[in-house]
Amino acid sequence: MAAITTGTDAAATRAQPRGGSIRRNLLVSRILTYIALGGAVLLILFPVYWMLITSLKLPREIYRMPSLWPQVFTLENYRILLQDKEFLLPIRNSMIVAFAVTIISVLISSFAAYSMVRFRYRFKGLIGRLILFAYLTPTSLLFIPLSILMAQLGLGNSLHGLILVYLCFSLPLSTWLLQGYFRGVPRELEEQGMIDGLTRFGALLRIVLPLSAPGIAAVSIFTFTHAWNELLLALVLTTSESVRTAPLALNYLITSDVLPWGPLMAGATLSSVPLMILYFIAQRFMVQGMTAGSVKG
Amino acid sequence: MNDTQSTLAGRWSRRALVRFAGASGLALAVAMAALPAHALEGKVTYWGGLIFSEAANKLLVDTITAWGQANGVETEVVMINQNETVQKVSAAVASNTMPDALDLNLDLLLLLSRQGVFTEVSDVYDAVGAANGGWFPSVAATSDLISAESGRYGVPFGVTGNLILRRNDLLSEKGFAEAPATWQELADQAVAVTASPVFGLGLALSNVGDGNVQIAVMQSFGGRVADDAGENAAIKSEGTRAYLQWLKDAWDKGAFPPGVATWDGAGDNQAYLSGQAAFIANTGSVGIAAKTQDPELYDATLYSPLPRGPVENVNPINMQFRAIPATSQNPEAAKALIEHLYNPEFLNAYYQAAIYGPVLNANKDFAAFDGSDPIKSGLLGLTENGTAPAWPDVYNAAYADIYTNYVIPKMAQRVVIDGWDFDRAMDEAQASAQAIYDKY
Repeated sequence: MAAITTGTDAAATRAQPRGGSIRRNLLVSRILTYIALGGAVLLILFPVYWMLITSLKLPREIYRMPSLWPQVFTLENYRILLQDKEFLLPIRNSMIVAFAVTIISVLISSFAAYSMVRFRYRFKGLIGRLILFAYLTPTSLLFIPLSILMAQLGLGNSLHGLILVYLCFSLPLSTWLLQGYFRGVPRELEEQGMIDGLTRFGALLRIVLPLSAPGIAAVSIFTFTHAWNELLLALVLTTSESVRTAPLALNYLITSDVLPWGPLMAGATLSSVPLMILYFIAQRFMVQGMTAGSVKG
Repeated sequence: MNDTQSTLAGRWSRRALVRFAGASGLALAVAMAALPAHALEGKVTYWGGLIFSEAANKLLVDTITAWGQANGVETEVVMINQNETVQKVSAAVASNTMPDALDLNLDLLLLLSRQGVFTEVSDVYDAVGAANGGWFPSVAATSDLISAESGRYGVPFGVTGNLILRRNDLLSEKGFAEAPATWQELADQAVAVTASPVFGLGLALSNVGDGNVQIAVMQSFGGRVADDAGENAAIKSEGTRAYLQWLKDAWDKGAFPPGVATWDGAGDNQAYLSGQAAFIANTGSVGIAAKTQDPELYDATLYSPLPRGPVENVNPINMQFRAIPATSQNPEAAKALIEHLYNPEFLNAYYQAAIYGPVLNANKDFAAFDGSDPIKSGLLGLTENGTAPAWPDVYNAAYADIYTNYVIPKMAQRVVIDGWDFDRAMDEAQASAQAIYDKY
């Protein structure tokens, strides 16, 4: 008994340092994880912090005394941007374009993707590949043909024209992405719905789309972000001040070889806000949607 | 003689016929003179070049709008960012959506006028010149460079070019009171004031427009881009070798800030505005920025032309033009508008706000060039003493291609960054330039 007791004690004595070692290892591992995560957060957030802090500095301080904290806080850059440059108008234009492109794109690409996943018809594979090729064509090759097309359609220098052109780029990507999500929805679910009296359209609306909600959210965010940030086509296709989008208005702040960092950073901050809100709201869908798409696709 | 002729001969003598014709002509001339000039109408769309001065941009828009209202012409003025003019105009030419008139620089005008994009404006050029005491010789010479046999396609309105900006506070501490007269003096002064965090020579050596200042430096040492005919590359020469030696010496003495070989178009200006460069080459925008953003730096800054070299004094000017696309629906109104933009009242105010040197002899007396503003004085000096673009080389399409391919800055990078010997760097630049000349 004593021997057993002694043996148990010995085991406990041996186990104690091992348990301590495990705890210590866990602690070290956790600390290292937090350090790595902290580093990643710092790496990601520092440019955002620098953008924000620069927008609150006076020009001389931006150039002559670069520091992590402004010596004098000023809202002058925001005044210049909002009052002198009327930056809210480009923000409004970007909102119109980005929301319109997102809604139309998701709507049309849902039908397109559904047809490609569920229906059988000739040249389906070829059409699918062509859609992807259309997306892969560099914008710099297309801006002149597109500007000719828009001029001939009488849609140059208008937000309608810009929306139409952005759809040319967002529709292929959205269709391609949504195919992956739709394939993941079991066909049997739709068939059961149709046995219960749903039409094909009803099945798409009530079964496939709700089940693909994360994918649709992810596609919406991608489409919105692209339309919000696009510069080259907006630069070429629009001319009047009244139809400038936010990136274009930011670009127009640079009028020479001396950069107005204060107003530029203020504009970048204001332009980032809608995207940040959108990503914050939809981040859960975003991650879930991307993962679902990648696995099921 | 048929019946009709005989009838006419019977009623009108030859003298009577001549008298009648003369009287009719006179009456018609009087009547034409009494009529108002051909009334302008329709719409004119104008793409103005957006420049650093807000006041100048606004003045241009207001003046065009007021002209339209006074003449019954609907006007639409859109200020186009000059950094993006090439993309914007390329797309507009292709899609046939060019405005009725626009501002553009020499290079783009040369390229597009050869393609028949613009309408001929010799009449406006001559009328404006005659009304304002003629064009400055450098302006006329530069304008002549790009005028084709069929005439002129642009009317110049502003001279630009590089001035040397220097930190007088730092230099005077070291005993340098005068502007450097030669590139060697400039390098010596730059080396003398180099002490962390200040570097003397804030001259870009990267693949940007500012890097091409090195072409002027090379030419002033006797180097050339091409032969006298402008048909074959002639980079490899003793003049170019002397330039590279100057560059290498200054580099080895630490006068150039780190990163000059990768600066973007604003790199040199940022270095100066942040107090880290004692000399830069700039069109004047840095001075204007310093005036409002950093008065202390503005007060400490002095301006001078590019120094001369041992062989040449090269101070290239560039120019801005107003042109009328051939597709304009209202070319007469566009011409009238352009002519109006040379009225002294507008130009006097415009030059005070903008960063351009004058183009017409009569402009010299404007308030902007009375000597009170050192930047404007520098720009006037550039107009009066500047050399034609590319000189002593020939300004043509191949030269413009060399310019946009940054052949000379790349050669400089080979020497100071990659450590190549002069011959190897010159051979590469020579081959690269010859390939370009062979294309044209």
